[in-house]
Amino acid sequence: MSEKLTGDLWERVEPLLLRVERPSRYLGCEWNAPGIVGEGTAVVLAYPDVYEVGISNLGLVILQEVVNDMEGASCERVYSPWFDMEREMRSSGVPLFSLETHRAVSTYDIFGISVPHELTYTNIVNLIDMAGIPLHANNRKAGPLVIGGGCGTANPEPLAPFFDLFVLGEGEEAIGSLVELVSEGKSHGWERQELLQKASRISGVYRPSDYEVDYQDNGLIESIRPVDGAPERVRKRTVDLDKWLYPKHPVVPFCEAVHDRINVEIFRGCTRGCRFCQAGMVCRPVRERSVDAVVGLVDTMAGCTGHEEVALSSLSSTDYTMIKAVTKKVSGICGQRRMILSLPSLRMDGFSVGIASGLELGGRGSFTFAPEAGTERLRRVINKPISEKDIMDAVLSAVRAGRRRVKLYFMIGLPTETDEDVEAIGRLVFRLREIVRGEGMAPPMFNVSVSTFVPKPHTPFQWVKQENLESIEHKQGILREVLRARGIKLSWHDSRMSTVESLLARGDRRLADVIEKAWASGCRFDSWSEHFDYSRWEVACEKAGIDPAFYLYREREPDEVFPWEYLDLGVDRDFLYRENQGALKGETSPDCRGGQCLECGACEEQGAGLFLTGTWSS
Amino acid sequence: MKPLRLRVQFAKRGKARYVSHSEFSRTLMLSARRAGLPLQYSGKYRPRMKLSLSPPLPIGVTSECELVDFFLEQYVSPAEAKQALDRSLPDGIHVVRCRLMGSDARPVGKLIDTAAYRVQLPSGAGNEGDWRRAVEVFLSMEVVSLERVQPRRTRVVDLRPGVHTLEARIGASGSGVELFMVLDDGTRGTVKPSEVLRVLADSVGVPEESWRDALVHREGLFVKRGGRLVSPMELGKHRPAV
Repeated sequence: MSEKLTGDLWERVEPLLLRVERPSRYLGCEWNAPGIVGEGTAVVLAYPDVYEVGISNLGLVILQEVVNDMEGASCERVYSPWFDMEREMRSSGVPLFSLETHRAVSTYDIFGISVPHELTYTNIVNLIDMAGIPLHANNRKAGPLVIGGGCGTANPEPLAPFFDLFVLGEGEEAIGSLVELVSEGKSHGWERQELLQKASRISGVYRPSDYEVDYQDNGLIESIRPVDGAPERVRKRTVDLDKWLYPKHPVVPFCEAVHDRINVEIFRGCTRGCRFCQAGMVCRPVRERSVDAVVGLVDTMAGCTGHEEVALSSLSSTDYTMIKAVTKKVSGICGQRRMILSLPSLRMDGFSVGIASGLELGGRGSFTFAPEAGTERLRRVINKPISEKDIMDAVLSAVRAGRRRVKLYFMIGLPTETDEDVEAIGRLVFRLREIVRGEGMAPPMFNVSVSTFVPKPHTPFQWVKQENLESIEHKQGILREVLRARGIKLSWHDSRMSTVESLLARGDRRLADVIEKAWASGCRFDSWSEHFDYSRWEVACEKAGIDPAFYLYREREPDEVFPWEYLDLGVDRDFLYRENQGALKGETSPDCRGGQCLECGACEEQGAGLFLTGTWSS
Repeated sequence: MKPLRLRVQFAKRGKARYVSHSEFSRTLMLSARRAGLPLQYSGKYRPRMKLSLSPPLPIGVTSECELVDFFLEQYVSPAEAKQALDRSLPDGIHVVRCRLMGSDARPVGKLIDTAAYRVQLPSGAGNEGDWRRAVEVFLSMEVVSLERVQPRRTRVVDLRPGVHTLEARIGASGSGVELFMVLDDGTRGTVKPSEVLRVLADSVGVPEESWRDALVHREGLFVKRGGRLVSPMELGKHRPAV
């Protein structure tokens, strides 16, 4: 990085800190924050939400360490400034800065932005704007490459005009290739366009402008054409978890973060095959980390962070084939170091609850389960065929283990759902109460949380329509009616937030204008219910000439060209359609770890299939 | 062996002055765990580290004297503890000194009643004479009323009984006015240095923009013993601090 580009903004940032809430969000200098020498290729990674949320994102923690372990490269962090700080920064002309060295983001070589979910899109636009970088990639002549990655890139089309590049899939290897290429480009003096062209040929990396979209008169996509020699399809990256032992020394924030603990991934991917779950489809194949690697990471991080809790995380932690062995060893470390062990994402069965109760974690606190639907029929539709008996066993075990609160997650607006299915949610909760009483125990407090189903790309439900607001409100009314009782607390996500999420989830490039207009009208932190403003989104759609119903309330034809058609997340469209048809017939599909391959396609071309460290039994 | 307490005096400087009180206490707990101190915990399900902290330091204020009593399960030499803690603290926070206390000692949180502050005023905040006069007026008053705005309620308080020493002078560096204050802080209630500053600035007639960036530094925390201010690091005769 040339000398004149690096300016330390600290002296201009410092006077703002006493005027904002929680100044430690903008300080840097936390424990384990990397020392930055400022030579070589400079990367800054952003998370489009406030510090406490962003610092808990495992992906960015991993990628920052990966880059900082490279020769000749450094990686810093930035999070969305909260409302008060944005006001102060804009009024005093301070651009977006990195936490480690307080340099302007616009002076870096790579500006990586995590794309976690749809309701962060206005924050993403805001980050680019606050950095003083032109919002549209085609207007950028200089400055950092703006690169998106993370879960949300399963369909980043509504964000396409704002990004120079996207990375599909897991980033550990791709970010290394990108950094090396940028370093090479700097030493050879490549033009920005030349660098972008070369970068777009890295496996898993693509330039959205390399794909031109043609539309039919009725608004549907006619075709997506690669230009400039770009490949027909972009295949996502996956890595071997035992080769990438990260993070090792994560930053310990001053404040209490959303996830205030050590986080060790025990595996990636999930083949349970729940049909609504995007992560379960796009993170395949299942790759388990070895027990020794997990234990090693726990030990290292316990020593260098001082955290009091360790979570063994994955999409369904008790599915880890060596779960008993690993919890035994990690519990040993926890005993010595006075930590507690937690297993997020528990399945609803006696086995899982047995393991979790054995850990004595959280003690009398709450246990969370996600039956998702009220009837066995609807649970078969979504391919989460938990029997009512499993649910009862799980709740009974939790109460026997001393839990006084049980959280239950449900969705409404699922395909084929009737009022009967919704009423059944209420009946199920009451039956659970009765069964606990029947065993002579006091029933726990039931917190019933109901969200609105949103069809996601790359899932068997990518063809189905979003349930409209009126119908959702009707179903919420049913629940309000049937779940009125002491000891039962009912809560739901704002269904208008789900509507915006749904609009963007299966959106195309034409929605970029809606996002930009929503942002310009003041939308920020849309996933925070107190800051979400539905009317601004309605106005933005109107001004952009977009009919939301086209994206929301339309059943897709089997052969419709989807905006994300050229993005290969591993699972084949044929498989997804078979699953879609199975759903409508109420037929379930087995977990392929049992031996029966469903030919989803995730194991092809990856060079490796499922990787289990032990033997699967279920 | 009887349980012990490790009394530690921390300094908080530089960027760390923007770390809030609750963030600071959390940071000290995690640092003590990283340092491997033989800490005592309470609570059956979720172990809670036992410690006692000195009164909160306002955000933005630097300090030479943040006191913490860590409750220990077994003996550790104060010199070793100091070294281990210093290696485990983030930038801007470090150990000034440590001493061991008996388990019967009153913890710092229930002990401290007085704090001393030095306030360095920005260059455009008026001249020394004006501030001296404002101090004289302040000290001559029987009652100094100020509206104290708190998240839940706003009420009018009398600052005067909580202000024990107040002086204005030219700073050691020779430039700018410096204030020295000894205020109630802790068991008898708290007067914030910014509150005294606000009253004085009003009397001098300096607008808030000109004094709000004053550098406030906590020089010491004390226990009042018969009119004398004693540091909790020196209270009692046995076991000197290192």
